[in-house]
Amino acid sequence: MYTALPILALSLFDQDVNDRWSFQYPQLYSPGQLNLYFSKKAFVRCMLHSAYSSLILFFIPWAAMHDTVRDDGKDIADYQSFALLAQTSLLVVVNTQLCLDTYYWTAVNQFFVWGSLAAYFAITFTMYSNGMFLIFTSSFPFMGTARNSLNQPNVWLTIFLSTLLCILPVVAIRFILLQIRPTINDKVRHKVRKEALPAPTPHRKPARRISTRKSGYAFSHSEGFGELVTSRRFLLKRPLKSRPVLFATTESPLAQNQPQHYRTITEEQDPSV
Amino acid sequence: MASSYNAKEEDGHVPGSAGHGGAAEAKSKKPDNTAFKQQRLPAWQPILTAGTVLPAFFVIGLIFIPIGIGLFVTSNNIKEFEIDYTGVNSDSPCYSCATNASWNNTTPCLCSLNFTLSQPFESNVYMYYGLSNFYQNHRRYVKSRDDSQLYGDPNALKSPSKECEPYRMSGAQPIAPCGAIANSLFNDTLELYHIEPNGTRNLIPLVKKGIAWWTDKHVKFRNPEGNDNLTVAFQGTTKPVNWRNPVYELDPSDPENNGFINEDFIVWMRTAALPTFRKLYRIIQKKSGPTPTLPSGNYVLNIAYNYPVTSFDGRKRMILSTISWMGGKNPFLGIAYITVGSICFFLGGGFKQAALNIWSVHGILGGVELSD
Repeated sequence: MYTALPILALSLFDQDVNDRWSFQYPQLYSPGQLNLYFSKKAFVRCMLHSAYSSLILFFIPWAAMHDTVRDDGKDIADYQSFALLAQTSLLVVVNTQLCLDTYYWTAVNQFFVWGSLAAYFAITFTMYSNGMFLIFTSSFPFMGTARNSLNQPNVWLTIFLSTLLCILPVVAIRFILLQIRPTINDKVRHKVRKEALPAPTPHRKPARRISTRKSGYAFSHSEGFGELVTSRRFLLKRPLKSRPVLFATTESPLAQNQPQHYRTITEEQDPSV
Repeated sequence: MASSYNAKEEDGHVPGSAGHGGAAEAKSKKPDNTAFKQQRLPAWQPILTAGTVLPAFFVIGLIFIPIGIGLFVTSNNIKEFEIDYTGVNSDSPCYSCATNASWNNTTPCLCSLNFTLSQPFESNVYMYYGLSNFYQNHRRYVKSRDDSQLYGDPNALKSPSKECEPYRMSGAQPIAPCGAIANSLFNDTLELYHIEPNGTRNLIPLVKKGIAWWTDKHVKFRNPEGNDNLTVAFQGTTKPVNWRNPVYELDPSDPENNGFINEDFIVWMRTAALPTFRKLYRIIQKKSGPTPTLPSGNYVLNIAYNYPVTSFDGRKRMILSTISWMGGKNPFLGIAYITVGSICFFLGGGFKQAALNIWSVHGILGGVELSD
């Protein structure tokens, strides 16, 4: 619950720039077609990042817990407190990384991020409470761990340190890449901040013939068959106007950018029917 | 053929009965024109500009460095003294005890070590015993306990959990407390004497209550109900294999510290995370008045050496330590904070310089030419 929902919210609601800007700059779709986001290089980068984060998330708590005790002298370097510390650091790091990756902060994904952190702490304290221990003794042996370790400033400083050590290199690398090699997304986003929203392009009635545009679908991973289909190699030599239109041209997304402005589009009578 | 498009109605049904051609869909699957479904929610769209990143790095550096310095100074002010009493070397006083130690000894072997404290210890002093190369975090070891039995459940008392195998039954009787963790309870006894300048030995009072977590002592561990006399309450069970005395004789002088709620036992049962660990043994209360709790000078540590560790190359030691708000002496956090803070600070400065250089040559974001 507290790891899956924020990612879901990110994938559902995130967007680089809104749809009007996307129409203005169709080059934004080129990274998807060029397979930039799902290549071996991207995968290796991801693996390196994970390896680095795992090392930080283990060794920082390990070094901080080594021969340490609580502020009233009692033990804190026990198995359960160490596990809790590592897991809490992990949750905080994951949520912070998610916030870094989110470029479109809506109320919904804010709710999921903060909600997942809150749910984590709520569930942890519930699982480690007296009540759960008394009811299901062998299933909840971690009783008291959250209360006794999370009230130590030592523990919170360790969590803070591991979070920053995981996040700061990512921020630094991204910032450097932004300056040296900005991608098309970054450039458009930068432009978005400076200029006003472009006006929606007026809807042109398309000519009544087969489209000669290249078929450009946004999430293609390879070139697709657009080139082949529109090369007109397979067309019969017949007059074009006898072909019926396959889809009514009422589904224009641009039209929907102007709310409360619904248009009625009527088709010409098709002479052959 | 006329197909007309009107505003989408609630049920998605295209109105009009006349003129339905093949092109008009019976039910429109178009999503609603709401902000939520058309991804037009009001949003904040941050990007990593120099104006945010550089000050952020500076601020983080400025916050971390003082915290690090504070942690480091606090850690340095904590006084700690550690003495290894395993007796591995033949010139150590505990060498003979180390070579003869085993679980079957009935008489305790005694040895004593002299040491000197160069600085006085103020305020409460905590005495710990430390073990090395002892893997309390081994998976089978950690699972080898019965929390229901330790909670005082009468069924679990007579029939412990299977996880405790092979320390579940001894002969025909169930073991209380069962499991490998309880079986390997640390049973050395340590006493501390201060040698005055004129030669008299003063026993330093060691407090044995208040060393375990409150939740452990009062909720997690409970003696079996039914009888105040623990000998009767534990009838039908037997002591763990490696123990000298049964559990109801851990501290006969104090019924609040006897049986499962014995604090030394509770502290041991809280398994350590790392192979080198320390556990709280006793507390030396601070004295009222100006005298330090442990004045500098000569001390003698008397050990009842019961716990064999040489078979697995383990080490035993005694640690005396004062405490602060960050716990015991641990310079790591202070050093780490100072390091990270300085790196951030310099990176912030470095970035600023690099960014200024790049911008002066290329313009911001390489000049936003989108005609590529």
